[in-house]
Amino acid sequence: METKTFPANYKNLAVISKFIVVQAEDAGFSKSDVYAIQTAVDEACSNIIDHAYGGEDIGEIKIKVNESEDKIQIVLIDRGEPFVPEDIPEPDITSPLEIRKERGLGIFFMRKLMDEVIFNFSQSQGNTLTLVKFKGS
Amino acid sequence: MELVVTEYVHCDLIEINGRIDSYSAPQIETVLNALMVDNHYNIIVNLEDVIFLSSSGILTFVNAQRKLKQQNKGEIVFVNVPELVFGSFELAGFHVVFKFFDDITTAVSRF
Repeated sequence: METKTFPANYKNLAVISKFIVVQAEDAGFSKSDVYAIQTAVDEACSNIIDHAYGGEDIGEIKIKVNESEDKIQIVLIDRGEPFVPEDIPEPDITSPLEIRKERGLGIFFMRKLMDEVIFNFSQSQGNTLTLVKFKGS
Repeated sequence: MELVVTEYVHCDLIEINGRIDSYSAPQIETVLNALMVDNHYNIIVNLEDVIFLSSSGILTFVNAQRKLKQQNKGEIVFVNVPELVFGSFELAGFHVVFKFFDDITTAVSRF
């Protein structure tokens, strides 16, 4: 298992992406799966900065990556405000441009691109987001 | 991310290189807004050298496109969009909001 902690700011999104891409490539995922995993993690980190911390450089994002034969599991931990995914409505991606609401696109991406997306909050641990992708899924 | 704007007779070309994410998207928003303030409404965006596009990047273009459509002035079109990057437009359902061209010459000729 590889664990790294990053200051939660937008500049670090590129650094985090590099870390995730290396892990996903090492785990043997296809190019499109690596891109999907990279996207899901970028969206997760952007959401943590925007919503959990409510701004840049307020806290940190700890990322644990666990690879096994058939999957990669990425756990993102922050100490920001509790995140309640049920509060974010799923975007209607077919609604016309003039009336379409944009909130929730990041979570929508995560759910479409990963096989498991699990949000948890505890007073002791903070927010824990677990992303799982199976090989060939 | 790096960004170069070239002015044509009837349109402007923005060539972007690198990652478009929550860090770099505001720089693109600034350039798009500056073009619109200068009455430049026909905008071609070359994504050939873009290696990553997040939802915040997509929404930057979508918001600018919405402004243009609301004012009934010009539009943003894309050229040379890498397959994986196009996949994100598709996933978000925004591939129907823009025109996509295979090369700059074809896109320029549309304006």
